[in-house]
Amino acid sequence: MRTIPAERIWLWSATALALVAWAVLPNFLGRGAIDILVFTGLYTIAGLGVSFLLGQCGIVSLAQSGFYGIGAYAAAYGTTTLGLPIPVCILAGILFSALIAAAVGTPVLRLSGHFLALATLALAIIAHVLFLEFEWLTGGTLGIGGIPRITLFGFSFSTPYRFYYLVWPCAFALILFYTLLLNSRTGIALRAMRDAPSAAAVAGIQVASLKVRIFVLSAAVGAFAGSLFAHYVSFISVDSFAIDRAIGFLLIAVLGGVRSIPGTIAGAFFVTAAPNYLSRLGDIHPILFAVALVVAVIFLPGGFGGLIASFWSRLATRGRASSKSRS
Amino acid sequence: MKTVLDVRAVSKSFGGLHVLKGVSFSVESGSVTGLIGPNGAGKSTLFNIISGFLAPTRGDIVFLGDVATGHDIGTRSRAGLQRTFQTPQVFRDLTVRENLVAGCHMRGRTGVLEAFFGLPAVRREMKQAQQLADLAIARFELEAWRDVPAGELPAGRQRLVELARAVVVEPKLLCLDEPSSGLSADEVRVLMATLRRLNREGMTILLVSHDMELMEVTDTIHALCFGEIIASGSLEVMRASPRVREAYLGT
Repeated sequence: MRTIPAERIWLWSATALALVAWAVLPNFLGRGAIDILVFTGLYTIAGLGVSFLLGQCGIVSLAQSGFYGIGAYAAAYGTTTLGLPIPVCILAGILFSALIAAAVGTPVLRLSGHFLALATLALAIIAHVLFLEFEWLTGGTLGIGGIPRITLFGFSFSTPYRFYYLVWPCAFALILFYTLLLNSRTGIALRAMRDAPSAAAVAGIQVASLKVRIFVLSAAVGAFAGSLFAHYVSFISVDSFAIDRAIGFLLIAVLGGVRSIPGTIAGAFFVTAAPNYLSRLGDIHPILFAVALVVAVIFLPGGFGGLIASFWSRLATRGRASSKSRS
Repeated sequence: MKTVLDVRAVSKSFGGLHVLKGVSFSVESGSVTGLIGPNGAGKSTLFNIISGFLAPTRGDIVFLGDVATGHDIGTRSRAGLQRTFQTPQVFRDLTVRENLVAGCHMRGRTGVLEAFFGLPAVRREMKQAQQLADLAIARFELEAWRDVPAGELPAGRQRLVELARAVVVEPKLLCLDEPSSGLSADEVRVLMATLRRLNREGMTILLVSHDMELMEVTDTIHALCFGEIIASGSLEVMRASPRVREAYLGT
């Protein structure tokens, strides 16, 4: 009989435990805390795209707030003004974001380093200005209200408590999908491209087009998060898609650890919860947030994901050592 | 004998600097062809033109009977042209096995979306690539390093990984750029034995080097000097040629 390695047993039990904790958690929390966890879920989804781009392709993208906004406005405009079904609007937002990402990605991703980061920042600014200008579509600063709640089989995800059980399965599924991608041949090709682009080209990896594809995927995921956001809050305005949101998504990636996919959850939690709780300390809360950020970046160069990984490997080696001493 | 590579009157100028002046030579199927020359002779430029990293100013690269001059690197790779680099370009963070899986990337068809949703075809292709990789690992005796990140290997092993990665797709032409640079005498002997074995198994090889010892594995050598071929023939012919001795051996 094949024996199951100790690390795998650890991993399975830890995952099962985490899932149980996830399922019962909202029953012990107030509405405000659950709301933070819902936003953590939303930002995890959007942050995954940014994190994967940065960690696996070396692309710094500040454009995610734009795609997040496109998803949100597609949901809002489609369901309220056009009266279309919710899934159609979500899909339209994803497709539209993907198309725009493909169109702008092809020229922009030729750049690298600071220039690329600046170009994506410009995209975020352009998106914000357009959201403001296209008042007929976005309602400008007044925004769009009355966005319907998502309903599945007659069950309306109308409260933070209920939405928690919608957004997190989506986030978990996307974490799984990104993990599958990373461990596939394509994922290996991406990492190869990051290490030695010339050699990757010789291996037949289409470097430029692969970068654009990952950028498009990231935009689609960002739009999906934006749609969920619109249906959750049911009122959106242009303020939700400004530059600070773009920076927030990048922070999630960096804090979560760009080489770690599940670490994105920790990054998203920090970016959502820290300003919220710090604001109770009064007007100095933005400074405290900035200090917390600097401390996190200095002491956790691999992000929260790196911290979890090193803790995990220590646990696994200890588990292996103890199982060896037993036998 | 079939011609694998035909370099036809290739010239390359960078501004007013004429690096290559109408170079022509060909590589026959099953041969080991050497390209020697002193520093600045234009070897690397010619090599980059052959592999698609540079475009020639004039002239053509004909690969397996097709004009490949306008083809990009990937198209040439898929047609069966593989190259290595003067400083070994392994994928440092990837294990040796993953390096070889990346090496067979062109054999797969699935893309980003299929991989994202974990379709069965993706897993099947991964299995096939891993099988090819494991064959190459056995062939190059890299078993002990299979799961070690390639960046952690000593330089000699990295060269071997790079060579294995180029060979894993069974190219029609294997181009090696200074493969012995940075290797110890022992490692060079292993490299030469490996090249001889590959050639016996039918691999056509183009070797660019200024290492005359390494040239013992070649059938034909072309000597490049100031962008022109000044002599062609066997290693003995090269050693006997006064022009080569003057330009290259410095005696």
